[in-house]
Amino acid sequence: MLITVNVAIPGPSSDPRRKLPPQLVQFGTDELVLIELQGALDVEGNKDGQLVGKLRIDPATKKPTLLIGHHLLEGKLVTLPKPLGVLHRREPGQMEPSASMDVDDREQSSNGSATSWDIVAVVKRKMVFSKRPMPIVGKPASSTVSGSPLYDENAVDDHFSD
Amino acid sequence: MLGGIMSQAVELDLRFSSRSQSEVGTYKLLELPPDLCKSIEASAEGSSSPSFTIKGSPEDDAVLCTADKTYIVRSVVLSNSVLVVTPDPADEDADNDVDEPLKDVAIRDQLSEVIELVPCVPRLHKLNAFLRGREYDEGHEDEESMSEDEDGIVKKRPRFTYEDARRTLQASDAELDKGLRDRRILVLKGELRPIAPSHLTTILELLLTNLVSHSLSYTAAPVSPLVEALEDEHDIRRDVTRQVIAWFGRITDGDSPGSMGTWEMDADAVVKEVGLGILRAYRDEPIFEKEFLDQWRKAVGDTFEERVSLKLLVGNYLASSDTLSDPPIPLLTYFPSAELPIDPGARFSELFLVRPRWKADEITHFLSDIAVDSKERDKLLLKHARAITDPTGIWYTARAKYNA
Repeated sequence: MLITVNVAIPGPSSDPRRKLPPQLVQFGTDELVLIELQGALDVEGNKDGQLVGKLRIDPATKKPTLLIGHHLLEGKLVTLPKPLGVLHRREPGQMEPSASMDVDDREQSSNGSATSWDIVAVVKRKMVFSKRPMPIVGKPASSTVSGSPLYDENAVDDHFSD
Repeated sequence: MLGGIMSQAVELDLRFSSRSQSEVGTYKLLELPPDLCKSIEASAEGSSSPSFTIKGSPEDDAVLCTADKTYIVRSVVLSNSVLVVTPDPADEDADNDVDEPLKDVAIRDQLSEVIELVPCVPRLHKLNAFLRGREYDEGHEDEESMSEDEDGIVKKRPRFTYEDARRTLQASDAELDKGLRDRRILVLKGELRPIAPSHLTTILELLLTNLVSHSLSYTAAPVSPLVEALEDEHDIRRDVTRQVIAWFGRITDGDSPGSMGTWEMDADAVVKEVGLGILRAYRDEPIFEKEFLDQWRKAVGDTFEERVSLKLLVGNYLASSDTLSDPPIPLLTYFPSAELPIDPGARFSELFLVRPRWKADEITHFLSDIAVDSKERDKLLLKHARAITDPTGIWYTARAKYNA
């Protein structure tokens, strides 16, 4: 099984694209930022376009904060020990939705040969939210979708309990 | 100006991408070794566009190949999850003003593993199995290779092409090309055919005589007359001669179109291969050293005979002496280290089977291809052999005598 990996990092000659705000770019690249969380975002049902929280970057300290529901997470800038290439699967027309680049896949999948990946960014930094979330009292997160536990608090609590 | 923007507080809505459902699993993180990172970044500046290939195999781990290197691909599970965040893909499609400030950013995928790359040696050992019975020899070059299976049914052996090798072998293109050259494998009409050693010797001897008869300098010989002479006088195919020439030296491209370039021959490599060709016949029965050297000098001709030296053949022969005659006459036996086991333990047991004790400077020639440097080689000797020092020098014997 062969999988092609191409380099498709936007350069000076590529079309102008939406860029991230400069305050965010310092945590990644012009167009892409990696945000690391303890636990995982857990959503039931269709999550297309759903709001997760408010991401703020303090102008003075440059510290990021993430407000998810009633939880406030404090983050920091972390330089990666080794740069990471971000691969994005290319969609050549209609793709098999199940075709994934599973490196442990021992099967010779017939549709696997059509899979190709692009290196869309090389990142050397990430935004890490590793601290225990602080509950915010009396400040309703009115903008989040009510009733859907977007952030798996249990997962977070489990993580912090050990 | 930028400082002005940076000093403003930024507050963004972090949302799942508007195509979140269909984007699950479309992102991966790949740890980049320094040289790989450099070549990717160089390409972003527009100089070149490298492309990599991940080669899977049912029985091995997947590898990633660049143009000239091979890496093992390993998946490392993270305890945290990593969100890939970009402007929303729907914003890209809508004809929005690219300079308009973003109000929200989109989570494209949520990852819990990183792909790690570990450099590894190219995996070319399968070549031998794929090419068994496909040897290219004088006289029956175009004969279809037939073999009988257990039921006595004659089957045509499948062709194994260069493209098959690129597709199935876990090696980069440069490593594959070097592997083919080192193993003396021809590419004939796209098909891989290891050249028969005796045929290779014939071609090299013909090249040497033709260099002399055409009064060509071996450091800058035009390729065309050599290729033509071998074709016209000895029915040796042009593409065969041309590839053999390229294995033994360097071809500089000619100025005029149609010219096949100029050959700077690696004289020692040619002389060595001719010597091996003669020595190969003495695998079971030894040959007198003097007789062998005479044959060898004659085969390479006057111009190159001074290059003839047993040093060229280290790791390919065993020296002994005929103790019945007085004084003892030195003998040589063909014993190529390339045919010994790769596994160090198995190699040492085979070496001590052939000879119970070895001189230090002799045994090292049979270890150089399994140790990357002399330090590693000495480590192997320490582990698998016992050193004994006597007035004639250091000797090595087997460490454990299991059957004693």
